[in-house]
Amino acid sequence: MDQDEVRAKIVEIISTYAKDKEALASATDDTNILEDLKVNSARLVDVILDFEDAFDIEVEDEDADKVNTIGDALSLIAAKI
Amino acid sequence: MSLPARTRFSLFAQREVGRLWSVVWVPASVFVLSVIMRYRIRDVRDLRRRFRTLVKETDKPIVICPNHLTMVDSALVAWALGGPWWLVFHYRWVPWNLPEYHNFASVWVSRVAAWATKCIPIVRGGERDQVSKVLKRIQHVVSRGDTAIIFAEGGRSRTGRIQMETIAHGMGRIINSIPDCHALCVYLRGDRQDRWSTIPKRGDSFYVDFEVFRPESENSGMRRSRDFAVQIADRLVQLEEKYFARQATA
Repeated sequence: MDQDEVRAKIVEIISTYAKDKEALASATDDTNILEDLKVNSARLVDVILDFEDAFDIEVEDEDADKVNTIGDALSLIAAKI
Repeated sequence: MSLPARTRFSLFAQREVGRLWSVVWVPASVFVLSVIMRYRIRDVRDLRRRFRTLVKETDKPIVICPNHLTMVDSALVAWALGGPWWLVFHYRWVPWNLPEYHNFASVWVSRVAAWATKCIPIVRGGERDQVSKVLKRIQHVVSRGDTAIIFAEGGRSRTGRIQMETIAHGMGRIINSIPDCHALCVYLRGDRQDRWSTIPKRGDSFYVDFEVFRPESENSGMRRSRDFAVQIADRLVQLEEKYFARQATA
């Protein structure tokens, strides 16, 4: 799976939880998942657990702390697949 | 999980300052709850007997995980379980609390008061690394023998019932990170508490029940922490169902 496919899958997963769909449509690697896409902080865990399922990876709580933006998610997943 | 020496010392100083003047602030807090607000805890003697038996019988780290309907729930839970002078002399059972920073940070007096009463402010939904630092502080104090209150739902329930969709992952994470840590699930509800509010109505009488257990999971990583959080919330739902079943037959 190349980086564009991973990014597309990340955006697809986040779309389930993002309240700001317009911001999601124009999202870049710098887009903040909580602030820009208005994902509820309690749902960020669900987002990352969905990453685990989609990419067959395991994420520790400490790894998840580093995920603020789509780029952070991309880096995390790239390091694990 | 180890904290920088400066942070550990800061937590130690915070605890000891709070402990030294607990002879004032713990009874004063209870005075406000019991005399000024005229709150009552139902079956309080039996409740405290059960809690003290639990305390005597366990040497495990314990995190208190209550439901959340008002902004004084943590004080009510501590009072219900301990009683003022028992808490003063068993200061480890005065729980560390994680109040929302923006609820009190604008006034310096409230910031100082929070610091000296075992509070570690948190910005809910804030920067992940800041939230992580707060959780590590709680892990530290609980693993050293104190207890902490982590509200299962993260914030006050907007429906008046346990909200599974907003359960606090951090609660499961803390318990997962401390070996053999147990969850003390506490269900607290005023007779006149139909929904969430800032404070309970004056003169309200509170039903309190609790259960302690060790969550289990075959998973690891975040999924294990999530399993823990869900199991704790499930226990609270059971306690809530018990409460409403009692109300229906009363």
